[in-house]
Amino acid sequence: MASTEELLEAYAEWRTRSNGNPRLTNMVRGWDRVIHFTTTDTEQGFTMRVEGQQLSDLAIGHEGQPDVVVTGSSEDFCDMFWGDLNPSEKYMSGEITLLGSQQDVMRIDAISMVAFLDS
Amino acid sequence: MPHREERAVAEQDRECEVVVVGAGYSGLAAARHLARLGVDTVVLDARHRVGGRSFTEVSEAGYSIDRGGQWIGPSQDHLAALAAEMGVATFPTWTEGQGVELRDDNRHLYVGLIPTSDPEGAADGIACMLHLDLAAFDVPLDAPWDAADAATLDAQTLATYLDTHLTSASARAILEVAVKAIFGAGSAELSLLFTLFYLHAGGGLTNLARTTGGAQERRFAGGSQQLAEGMAAELGERVLLGAPVESVAYGPDHVTVSARLVPSDAAPTDPAATAATVMEVRARRAIFAMAPALCGRLVFSPPLPGNRDQLCQRMPMGAVTKVHAIYDEPFWRADGLNGQIVAPGSVLESAFDNSPDDAPHGAVVGFIAGDDCRRMETAGPAARQAAVLEELARAFGPRARTPIEVVEQHWPAEPYTRGGPVAVSAPGALTALGPALRAPVGPLHWAGTETATQWCGYLDGALSAGVRAADEVLHALKGEPVGLD
Repeated sequence: MASTEELLEAYAEWRTRSNGNPRLTNMVRGWDRVIHFTTTDTEQGFTMRVEGQQLSDLAIGHEGQPDVVVTGSSEDFCDMFWGDLNPSEKYMSGEITLLGSQQDVMRIDAISMVAFLDS
Repeated sequence: MPHREERAVAEQDRECEVVVVGAGYSGLAAARHLARLGVDTVVLDARHRVGGRSFTEVSEAGYSIDRGGQWIGPSQDHLAALAAEMGVATFPTWTEGQGVELRDDNRHLYVGLIPTSDPEGAADGIACMLHLDLAAFDVPLDAPWDAADAATLDAQTLATYLDTHLTSASARAILEVAVKAIFGAGSAELSLLFTLFYLHAGGGLTNLARTTGGAQERRFAGGSQQLAEGMAAELGERVLLGAPVESVAYGPDHVTVSARLVPSDAAPTDPAATAATVMEVRARRAIFAMAPALCGRLVFSPPLPGNRDQLCQRMPMGAVTKVHAIYDEPFWRADGLNGQIVAPGSVLESAFDNSPDDAPHGAVVGFIAGDDCRRMETAGPAARQAAVLEELARAFGPRARTPIEVVEQHWPAEPYTRGGPVAVSAPGALTALGPALRAPVGPLHWAGTETATQWCGYLDGALSAGVRAADEVLHALKGEPVGLD
């Protein structure tokens, strides 16, 4: 189980890497979205925004109407943000779930894999 | 049309409202839809079995094998409904463990969709797949030729697109493997517009390439052909097998289909076939539930409109040999492997665990596709089998060299299919001739998975295409206007 501080720290690192990766910023061109994260173990909500090809800070709590809802354990989110976990593995096993339109889910899936591979 | 004097047994002739040519999934779905509404329907198929590109057979050593289409995935609702109706269970494709990537002389293990031995290349590939899929979703499913930039997209091949948008050679090779497995054709054979349409119809390239959550997610316990057999059982004596159609005479409101009644699965040129009795089925409407290339081999009188025939000439079948290697057990699972292989440049570029869910033996299924299929046809079965086993041994170890049995289904040599898994379209064909794909010609209607707008090329698309053609016929029989294009 990861604390909220640990998760925010891991995300901040992931965000810096992602916003500086041209391949990733190209993948979110024209894709402004609100993404909610929900941890299954600590039952904590977070909100991330994609705006103008940049990822926002991770806000604590659910804000706004989400386009995609990502659910998983705090530990898995931390590992994913640190780049230690292949997100594909967790999607396939159903330990991390993505809820949203087909195209949005497809985009998140691709973005998270590219972030992992480029980390 | 055969001369009258050639026809020995006139009492074989049938009269009905609708004749359906082809008893694959599409033709049977069309006929069943019509029969349930009380329309007098006759179905003809050249073979002595139903199912078309779905073909489940017990091998010489006694193993039940799907030699053709075999998978069902999420959103294939027509197929799922049919399986539920027939009481045919599905089970997940085995995905537990790691896949094997064979590249040059190296062997890597990977998890997920894309081999990750070259992370930079894999990231390049995933980004490209996303952009391809996003472009695909902009192509209208019912009329891809009406896409905003249709002419530009149809003037280039998928290969041109991939060569332009990928910087990594390893990603380019992996995507080529996926394309060949999906289409039975290399990216240089495919119009970019056609590819985008096809990807859209199946929910995107990522979806088509996936097992879990995608097109290869589940299989049918007992094989996919059962669903065709179930539909045929409902149709009963309306289905005539061993009746290859040779010619079609038609007027504004009538059609006469001539077939030979062939006593065995003789090739079209065998004396048993050429000497067989000719029968005629006279109907008000006909549905041709077969790939365009096969339609183009029938003799129509009067000849089909130029654009319809040109379309049949310009939608060739892909080329695929489906190979099963059967073992006494799925031994690779004990080594933590899921049975999947991605091997760019090898003879069997992609493979999956195809073991049954209810028996102890193991099976690997692999695809020799596109130009590899054509090249290996020339090499012959012994060379094919040796190459396949050598590759399986590289992936799974020396035990793979000694299967109980190797079973090949070389679809291009099948006289009543001539390739597979699907018909493809080279540049220029869709924009020039696409509307002829479904547009009826007088009393003639076109079904088959190639005419589907959802899951085109798949079993699910075959079903919806059959029902769509049947609905067209129902409108026509009521004197209502017909034609969606």
